[in-house]
Amino acid sequence: MATQPSVLSGFIGRHRNAVLGGAAVALFFAAWQAIFLVVPFNPLFITKPSLIAAGLLDLVESGDLFHDLAVSAVPFFLGLFGAVVIGVPVGMVMGRRVRIGYALDPLMTVFYASPLVALAPLLVIFFGVGLPGKTIIVFSLAVFPFVFNACAGVRAVDHLLVNVVRSLGGRERDVYLKILLPSVLPYIIAGARIAVGRALIGVLVGEFFAASEGIGYAITRFADIFAVDRMFACILTVMVIAIALTEGIRWAERTAFPWRFGQ
Amino acid sequence: MAEMQTLDLELGATSGTLPGTASRQRIESIALGTAAIVLLLLIWELAPHFLPIKAGTRLFFTVPSRIFATLWEMFSTGSIWAPLGVSAAAFAIGLALAIAAGLPLGILLGRSKTMNAMLDPFVTAFNATPRLVFLPLLMLWLGIGMWSKIAIVFLGAVFPLLINTHEGVRNADKVLINVVRSFGASEWDVARLVILPNSLPFIVVGVRLAIGRAILGVVVAEFFGAQDGLGVVMVRAASSFNVDIVFAGLIIFAGLSLIMTGLVRLLEERTSRWRPQRAANE
Amino acid sequence: MAAYIQARNVNLSFRPANRTPVRALDGFDIEVQEGEFLSIVGPSGCGKSTFLNVVLGLLKPDSGEVLIHGNKIAGPGSDRAMVFQEFGLLPWRTVQHNIELGLELKRAPSAKRGAIAERLIGLVGLTGFESHYPHELSGGMKQRVGLARALATDPDVLLMDEPFAALDAQTRDLMQTELLRIWREARKTVLFVTHQIDEAIYLSDRVMVMSKRPGHAKKAFTIALPRPREYEMRVTPKFNELKLEIWNALKDEIAV
Repeated sequence: MATQPSVLSGFIGRHRNAVLGGAAVALFFAAWQAIFLVVPFNPLFITKPSLIAAGLLDLVESGDLFHDLAVSAVPFFLGLFGAVVIGVPVGMVMGRRVRIGYALDPLMTVFYASPLVALAPLLVIFFGVGLPGKTIIVFSLAVFPFVFNACAGVRAVDHLLVNVVRSLGGRERDVYLKILLPSVLPYIIAGARIAVGRALIGVLVGEFFAASEGIGYAITRFADIFAVDRMFACILTVMVIAIALTEGIRWAERTAFPWRFGQ
Repeated sequence: MAEMQTLDLELGATSGTLPGTASRQRIESIALGTAAIVLLLLIWELAPHFLPIKAGTRLFFTVPSRIFATLWEMFSTGSIWAPLGVSAAAFAIGLALAIAAGLPLGILLGRSKTMNAMLDPFVTAFNATPRLVFLPLLMLWLGIGMWSKIAIVFLGAVFPLLINTHEGVRNADKVLINVVRSFGASEWDVARLVILPNSLPFIVVGVRLAIGRAILGVVVAEFFGAQDGLGVVMVRAASSFNVDIVFAGLIIFAGLSLIMTGLVRLLEERTSRWRPQRAANE
Repeated sequence: MAAYIQARNVNLSFRPANRTPVRALDGFDIEVQEGEFLSIVGPSGCGKSTFLNVVLGLLKPDSGEVLIHGNKIAGPGSDRAMVFQEFGLLPWRTVQHNIELGLELKRAPSAKRGAIAERLIGLVGLTGFESHYPHELSGGMKQRVGLARALATDPDVLLMDEPFAALDAQTRDLMQTELLRIWREARKTVLFVTHQIDEAIYLSDRVMVMSKRPGHAKKAFTIALPRPREYEMRVTPKFNELKLEIWNALKDEIAV
């Protein structure tokens, strides 16, 4: 007869992956903290988790962290919003109207594959280092994933459904609104996942150039004055945000569109 | 959980596969595509003759003919080769290191569920984070020379390689493994006969994605933290309003990216001949 | 005379990660004579595929023993080969290279491999398709390749795990006749697992009915139909009587 497993081992068994992952992360930070017991600690180049936590607390309490994040958030969301509002319709039209698709595909491919970041210096000099400049950079990086994914989503639509709407007397506008838009939604969300990463790069690029505010600027500022603990604190904050955004969207994809992930 | 961008799930990251491959459609698509690009270039070229441009903006404005003239000059005088060489070196070394690290790690993650569970948080975290955020730190540690560039290129390129290799290994059909085992295969035989051929298409896709990220890495590293390289040339040109050079640089980077990923795509097709044709959304 | 394959009191449980263990086989006994064609019929999940994997050597029973020709089974060996329900062809290899797989693993020289593969391609009726890839083949053709591959190493025992389940009904009927033709030439001992009573009766010398999980041997039926089997036999009264008998033994085991 098999013995009853204890409650704890039951829990660990079911959530084995999460437990292993959590343990690995905890081990990592513990090792990081502990290694300075044997290795010399140079505060100009490296820091410890305890100091990072202290620095983070400090930044939170003084309000600096939230201020910087807020400043960075504005161009981030504005640029993303613009990317959706312009990219999705363009992509949908490209998918729907075959000839327009033919015409624009190569162009879009070139744009998507080029390191558009390379134009950032120009954009910054032209639009300035403030909100307009950053927003334009974010927009230019984030718009193409939406264009392509909306296009792919439309191309993947079941034509039978389009014919159904037509046969019931629907016009082109109805086709777009009632069939295309809902079908395309999963693709757009997937595009958002990619675009969010690129938008973050856009914000950072804009701020590294010559901003005077924002989380990216904060990182460079702390680097300049060798405040390594605060620099790490900011970097970790950006990492957490990036993870939250990307994994959050992935979670939304899995929950809202579970059928797309069965393999 | 870290997911991969591979054959089925990365949507629309390229020129979408157009429906139908009848030759008439191909001719039409090539014609329209070319026409669109030509039209765009023409409009751009002729715009200053038709639109009033404020004196201030004129400083920033340029036209395709001037850009191509600059490109020509850069190549014919040979002034391009030194900076391009520096950038290319950083790209190549970073990419090579990424392959050397990413492939074995990906295989390890694919074979060992324990290792995968333990490393997954780190892979997910680094993959979601824009590598750029580490640049100031890397510059602090490695200075503004070649090594911080190589580090950023490496960080950018290693994750697609790792994730795609992992998926390729993980994806190996269990039935096939049992089949091969039933004929008396050792673990090494299983790896050689099933896992490796199955992973190859995934790895090739990983390489293609890594190339794009690597170029991006070179560009941003040279913008902010370098002394020489094509990106440095571009940034200096931008600050002295030499817009032509900036565009020329972009064209060179973009062109190299397209050529390399195009070559890898050819390789993809050759290594994927045994796959049934799916609706390729890559 | 001792049976060629002997299984005595085989027990096997699966222990998935932190769920209650599942007993797949419970005191399973079977005896198969040399050259016999034996079908195992049972409800879904009763353990018939599991038993096949035990004979193949990929699974170890918890207790009990399985002997082939008097020897205990200790892993896969070249005296046994399996034909899989999902075909299991390596998609990146051509038909010919797929058939040669077992021979490669036995380190047979390549000229010999080619000759054997060619003969088998002829035997299973796939001449002309040597350089095709699996994705270019129909289901029936894929299974022919699977059969040829299993025969390539000249095993004494052929294990067939619902090999025609993935085929449409017409192809299935055709393949059954083809299998009998090939078996007549190849003369192997065959352990055949299936859901379909018709198929079992048509193909076999004996049919064994298995209980539901945990599986044990319930009842064996001798199929006293003459060989070579003709398609017309499927509509004879004798066939239907057998079918009814077997169904009666089976139906209590099926949960709805």
